Amino acid sequence: MNFHSLVQPDSWVAFRLPSDTLKVVQIAPNTVISLGKYGSFSSNDLLGRPYNLTYELLDAKAGQKAAGLRVVPAAELHADTIREEEEAANPKSSDDKVVLGGDGVEYELVGENGEVIMRSNRETIDDAASQTLTMAEIEILKREGTGAGHDLIAKLMLSHTAIDQKTAFSLAKYKLLKTKKYLRRFTVLPLDVELLTNWYMNERDAGKIMEMRSEMLALTGSWANVHFSESLPDIEGGKWLIVDETGGLLVAAMAERMGILYPLEGEMEPSTEKAHRRDEPALATSNTLTMIHNNAQPNLSLLKYFQYDPTIANPPCPNHPLGTHLHPLSWLQLISPEKDTTYSTPVEPLSEEVLGSLKPGKRGTYYRKLRRWKRTTNIVDTTLSGGFSGLVVASQMDPTSIVRHTIPLLRGGANVSIYSPTIEPLVQLCDHYSTARRTAFITAPPESFASLSTDEERDNWKGDEDFPLNPTLLLNATVQSARVRSWQVLPGRTHPLMTAKGGAEGYLFTAVRVVPARGRVEARGKFGKKRKVDEVVTPGGEGGKSEPTEKKIHLSVEEEIKLTLMGENTQAVEAVGNSSADVEMSLS
Amino acid sequence: MTSRVSPFLYPESLSKTESLAIVHLKRDLQTPTILKDRDDDNEGYSEGKVINTRFGSFPHTTLIGLPWGSQVRASKVDTGSRGREKKRKRDEVTETAGPVEKIAKVEPEQAIETPVEAKNEVQENGDVPLAKKEATPSTAPTGFIHLLPPTPENWTSSLPHRTQVVYTPDYSYVLHRIQARPGVNLIEAGAGSGSFTHASARAVFSGYPGNATNKRRKLGKVWSFEFHEQRHEKLVKELQDHGMEGVVQITHRDVCENGFLVNGESPKANSIFLDLPAPWLALPHLARSPPPKTLEDVSVEAPNGDVEMQEEFAPYISALDPCSPVHICTFSPCIEQVQKTISVMRRLGWIDIEMVEVAHMRFEIRRDRIGIDNGNQHGLLATPANVNEAVARLVDVEGTFKAFHATGEKSEIKKRDKPNPNNKQKILEGLIERKIYKEGNLVHRVEQELKAHTSYLVFAILPREWSAEDEANAKLKWHVEKKDGEADKGHAIIGMSKRQQRRAEKQAHKEREAAAAAALKANETTEIEGAASEAQEEKQPGEDMALKSEEINSAVEIEEMKSVAAVEQTRR
Repeated sequence: MNFHSLVQPDSWVAFRLPSDTLKVVQIAPNTVISLGKYGSFSSNDLLGRPYNLTYELLDAKAGQKAAGLRVVPAAELHADTIREEEEAANPKSSDDKVVLGGDGVEYELVGENGEVIMRSNRETIDDAASQTLTMAEIEILKREGTGAGHDLIAKLMLSHTAIDQKTAFSLAKYKLLKTKKYLRRFTVLPLDVELLTNWYMNERDAGKIMEMRSEMLALTGSWANVHFSESLPDIEGGKWLIVDETGGLLVAAMAERMGILYPLEGEMEPSTEKAHRRDEPALATSNTLTMIHNNAQPNLSLLKYFQYDPTIANPPCPNHPLGTHLHPLSWLQLISPEKDTTYSTPVEPLSEEVLGSLKPGKRGTYYRKLRRWKRTTNIVDTTLSGGFSGLVVASQMDPTSIVRHTIPLLRGGANVSIYSPTIEPLVQLCDHYSTARRTAFITAPPESFASLSTDEERDNWKGDEDFPLNPTLLLNATVQSARVRSWQVLPGRTHPLMTAKGGAEGYLFTAVRVVPARGRVEARGKFGKKRKVDEVVTPGGEGGKSEPTEKKIHLSVEEEIKLTLMGENTQAVEAVGNSSADVEMSLS
Repeated sequence: MTSRVSPFLYPESLSKTESLAIVHLKRDLQTPTILKDRDDDNEGYSEGKVINTRFGSFPHTTLIGLPWGSQVRASKVDTGSRGREKKRKRDEVTETAGPVEKIAKVEPEQAIETPVEAKNEVQENGDVPLAKKEATPSTAPTGFIHLLPPTPENWTSSLPHRTQVVYTPDYSYVLHRIQARPGVNLIEAGAGSGSFTHASARAVFSGYPGNATNKRRKLGKVWSFEFHEQRHEKLVKELQDHGMEGVVQITHRDVCENGFLVNGESPKANSIFLDLPAPWLALPHLARSPPPKTLEDVSVEAPNGDVEMQEEFAPYISALDPCSPVHICTFSPCIEQVQKTISVMRRLGWIDIEMVEVAHMRFEIRRDRIGIDNGNQHGLLATPANVNEAVARLVDVEGTFKAFHATGEKSEIKKRDKPNPNNKQKILEGLIERKIYKEGNLVHRVEQELKAHTSYLVFAILPREWSAEDEANAKLKWHVEKKDGEADKGHAIIGMSKRQQRRAEKQAHKEREAAAAAALKANETTEIEGAASEAQEEKQPGEDMALKSEEINSAVEIEEMKSVAAVEQTRR
């Protein structure tokens, strides 16, 4: 797990700048990295150094262009907060008797001798004019400034006329503001899935990753039970089906969970053998991700941040674990492989002599075609044989159609987890598995289904108008959502962050693939409290009920809704029978 | 037992004996069961081990050897006479009071379940009651369950609660954030009920020791600590039953007092999860170097370490992986705990400290059917669906009212005469013929039970330690050339878009020309020099000037960078 230990040449890193924006850069040796207004430095100053450190750009000496770097120790990063905490703890030690309240409300307290015990913001002038330094002067300071911007910030604070009117909190805020603007500091972060997600969500095109936040990504993976599962000598491992329209983010997240996203140490080193030209390494049979894509080629552009680029070669990146563990195939190859040209046109193996007589270029083409055909047939055939441990989906397509074609490929007990930025498609999908629908399906299966005899045919049943999906194949259809809320924790100023990102909420559909028993299955159930429907017929109205009774009935109706329609409260078929008994009882 | 694999990690294709399975009754009612083909506890069922649920009884023999996810019908199990049977047996035992008798009691039941095994035993014991042998489970008319393979998710919702449980939305996010991937060493302190233990074991698992397929792959492990003795014991048993022994190492320990070393050995943790009442007390044990005060204190930390080790100047062993950044998460329900924890973290050099909470919601999805035309039906809200229906009803009521006043007759229609729309036939009819599952508006709402707050999550990172020596070595390896030279146009500057670079270059060029022109002008007409420069200054007042100078700045910077790069190039 040392992949994110030291900065390696050609790896992607993210710089967090004082303004809290991220700058993502692929680090090449012997280059100069520019951080815009904050300055620039040599990439060699970072290579071989650990991640997560914060650096300050030193002042470039005259004649030297790229500034050197200084590691900022954690103690220095937290110095202000710690000092503040200490002052709050022992107020005597501070000179100007500023007492910090714990609640963040700003009072003005004046002591007997007129000294200010606590300032309020009543007197502050909301005007930029308080700063006496002009833009021009600041610019000169910036240019000549030393101490990575510390001097400039100190000068700014000094020349603020109303600085003594500021409350402790607003002073801290002012300093923070200036720090963000002028401090020449940055933090080196490894570009992992979590950071990539945040970067895309906050600074890039969130739509490209379907506005999938980290917490939803994590939840999706957990519910799909995606984990490392390489076959043991006598036990079969796992393989997962994935439909990803987030440009590869979902694939990356799942691959990270399976331990196939980052190459093991020494694995990426280019091998000296030329064997790759003719034979690619055999595809992995377990711990694999089979990706179904809707274009001729999968869109996995985000995987380039993990050193995997399927567009540059065939086979793509033979040394990357994804090269053998990621199996892409198109919907066409899945549903009617015979219509796919690559799959349906086998490459005739040529004899050694014929090969020898070919021009090198033609020979290369032949090998390339052969490899591609072998790979495609292998992937398509293993996918069609089914037995997948789970299904993970983030797609703009109708989930119903995706589920219809992928469900037969899942083994019993496989977990299904489908992400959607909006809830409506998932509500639709969930409704196809409603208890009422399932009950109707079990009681009176449609003719087209009932006539099928084998289990396999039944699993592959394509649905009809009333039952778009076989409602007995998935259990526990649930829609959920999670959202993370960030807090600021500072001495005396703890509260949730004032701003967050809106946009799509993001929802997750989860369910388990089950194997229904053959034949008619009757449910059974005892239902908690039986509320008697008190149907006293009161005289004097066609409506038949007086107001209070109507209310009672109303309650019971709601309960029944829960019983019969929501289903999770009882078992489907019997629910119908039992509650009717309930009603009958109350009637007699 | 150590060679056993966990059904959580490798569910295999069929359910098998001695392995954990989840008996799924309904979404929030799932029972974990270890399938047994014999009744070791001698519960007295003729069918062997039986699980009784509200949807029927299920002898384990009907659950073993099935594909996962199978729907299983309930069996007819005589639950009533069991107690009497047992009592009778007990009486017998007391009467004869022979150990042989006791064995004979147990064996017959096993005999039913495992006929092959039983044969031998029958021979040994001889006497087997014939009546018992016939009790093979027969299917009951109603009731079923689904048999599911265990996952951390369904385990979390079905496990026996001993403490507050870390639920799926929390643990999935935590594990994602603390980088718990296959191959990681993860410390979990405060194992509690074990939900996080199972989830983290799944996350870090990368093969069983001795079974590794790829030698280069590091094996991940969960180092779990629990200070409550009974909880610890239960968890040990549970993890054994679940085949997690090679993946989870659980220690009975108060980590706040005694630190994280196991048998004097470091877990070399990359990720840490603290679910403790006072995480700030445990934090000092999670440092890279000994606390500055006294070294003696530290050596005491080694809990099972030898006494000699404590007396000697034992080298400090950090519980952390020296070669990687360490990610931590603490899980505390109260804000005061969070404040204390973060304050201590700051002092101990943790960075990127962030506090969040996870809000989770489940949605109820149903069809809202509104209308009065069908009487009181299940799932029908008996209010008019629209204005027309409301008006029609009012007219109806109005008519009855008038009739009553005109004739003095009460309406004769009683409830009893109305057809009851809620009997089984009517409902099934509604389902099948009217397809009421397609009626109404499809709506969603947040489920009634909502966990509004679980805990606050504090995340932080402790970067790898970096000494002056390391820095010197790195400098040697990645040497930065520092010598001025001529600008090399081809050399790369990264971190700037091409457009930005081009603009900066253009700007620099312009500036140079302007400077040259100014110089020329100055040479030609020295008299008006002052005026010219004044005019130039006037041109760029205030902000405008600031902007421009910034651009100039960056342009100059690029020039400079290029020259540095050029030198490097020539050197190489």
